[in-house]
Amino acid sequence: MDDPHTRRRTDMTDARDTRRLKRSKTTALLLMGTAPLLFSACQRDAPVQVQEGLYTSVESCAQAIGDTATCRIAFEQAKLQAADTAPQYSSRAECEAEFPAEECVEQKTSAGHSFIGPLMAGFFLSQMMNNNRAGAAAAQRNAQAAPAFRDNRQGWLRPSGAPGAGRAGMAPVSMTPDRAVTANRGGFGRSATGRSTGG
Amino acid sequence: MRRVGIVERGDWQAQAAECGFRFHTIDGARYWDERAYYAFTMAQIEHDLEDPSVELHRMAMALVDEIVASDALMQRLAIPAEFRDWIAESWRRREPHLYGRLDLAYDGTGPAKLYELNYDTPTSLFEAAFFQWQWLEDQRASGRLPREADQFNSIHEALVDRFAELAASLPPPLLFAAVRDSEEDQGTIAYLRDCAAQGGLYGEAIALEDIGLSEDGRFTDLDDVVIGSLFKLYPLEDLFHDDFGRALPRSGLRLIEPPWKALLSNKGLLPLLWERHRGHPNLLAAEFDDGGELPAGWVRKPLHSREGANIELHLADGRRLHSDGPYTGPCIRQAAHPLPSFDGHFPMVGSWIVGDTACGIGIREDDSPITRDSARFLPHAIVEDGAQVVFAA
Repeated sequence: MDDPHTRRRTDMTDARDTRRLKRSKTTALLLMGTAPLLFSACQRDAPVQVQEGLYTSVESCAQAIGDTATCRIAFEQAKLQAADTAPQYSSRAECEAEFPAEECVEQKTSAGHSFIGPLMAGFFLSQMMNNNRAGAAAAQRNAQAAPAFRDNRQGWLRPSGAPGAGRAGMAPVSMTPDRAVTANRGGFGRSATGRSTGG
Repeated sequence: MRRVGIVERGDWQAQAAECGFRFHTIDGARYWDERAYYAFTMAQIEHDLEDPSVELHRMAMALVDEIVASDALMQRLAIPAEFRDWIAESWRRREPHLYGRLDLAYDGTGPAKLYELNYDTPTSLFEAAFFQWQWLEDQRASGRLPREADQFNSIHEALVDRFAELAASLPPPLLFAAVRDSEEDQGTIAYLRDCAAQGGLYGEAIALEDIGLSEDGRFTDLDDVVIGSLFKLYPLEDLFHDDFGRALPRSGLRLIEPPWKALLSNKGLLPLLWERHRGHPNLLAAEFDDGGELPAGWVRKPLHSREGANIELHLADGRRLHSDGPYTGPCIRQAAHPLPSFDGHFPMVGSWIVGDTACGIGIREDDSPITRDSARFLPHAIVEDGAQVVFAA
């Protein structure tokens, strides 16, 4: 009379399917523990990790990733794309409203179209991080570069699609370039003294 | 909801060691305790815990807009003046959040009551998301739980998915930081790094104390690389008060949890929720504390307190309970609603929200009605009442 199956279904007034698992289908640990552990029937492929940096020079790039050749190639590739992806303005005044005056110059796209726009101020380099290091040549093949532009408010922009009037084809990034000389350490953590931090 | 004794897995310590779960025993006392579990029905899970969690989360998120627009509310929540604009800006940009935990008092009948929100540094994550899941699989396989037993716990999948969503928007490099000497916190960030890696987002770990500050006001790792994004298992309000805190607003550092979470991990949210949703079945009456005598039937809690510290409880029957701790400052009062007792054990249900999804629970029980850092973690299972009858049929 009180068949649990029936009760279970009629109790559910919403659209949830009660037979759907409420728990993870699989769980896995890749980094923790003594060995990589996978607790599931279907094993995932190792994730592809992409590391991206924003650099203002080949040197700072090389310092960060330890590979001068890849940085040089990235810089050259970014430079080649710069005029074709830069924000385009019809006057210097319009450009200077958004970008530093000294960066706003007359440029030509590879198709020969003239415009006023900011010069590239840095470059992005993304690399596929791979555990089985396939060597420098593969690293360079896997690297992707793009020019970076810096606006008047110290924000960094990257081309995000077809270039167009003004900043239309640009996406702001919240990346910060390079390295900084550390002046101090140890300024975080003191408030935790004598108490556990979690809740 | 029942508390059911069950045989421990013979090899659980070995399993814990294998997956890096080191804090299962703390100072010689069990923290992970699988000598019993809590059994729920699906209706209890979905109607009494999952649905209210979704709603409470939505109500809390809806308050953020209002708080960031009001200096008076920021003041009530004791947010230091120099961080208010930065917090508001982080909300305007909708800087993404990872997770939070709602602490609920629930006895299997009637509405679960919200004790508080742990929306900044919720812990007990690994044991809830992963080790508890393992326990269920093992106990189903051993036949000690019915094959149909389930668990409200897709926390692991939700974390991996959430990190995958965050991957595109977090400025690299991403680092995970916790206090160096906390084994539990280090274990939690090890697990979160693992989930992030499974979501395609790789981040190194750094001790919070090793973070550097450059002359031009940016935060650096031990190689002087500027940190783009920092997951910190460390309370925002403590970051604010640390020596480097004042550099945060202009550093360009992206934080997880983001600065606006300081508004939700604050017990001042409880009276604000009550004022706006007075009588809501999942809320307890709450008000800001005037410092006066605590009447019977009320609990006093500091705006910032964790692990059940500095709680003053004046029960309706006149009994008073008090927990020590290091927290001071403004307080709130909340109507006393003692945790239910299951054979002298007092369980608190931690309901996990990853992104904006309610995706699982973890239960910590203590031998006193205040859940402290001495609480033990017990697994749970969804087992329908009368399920055996169905198997026999």
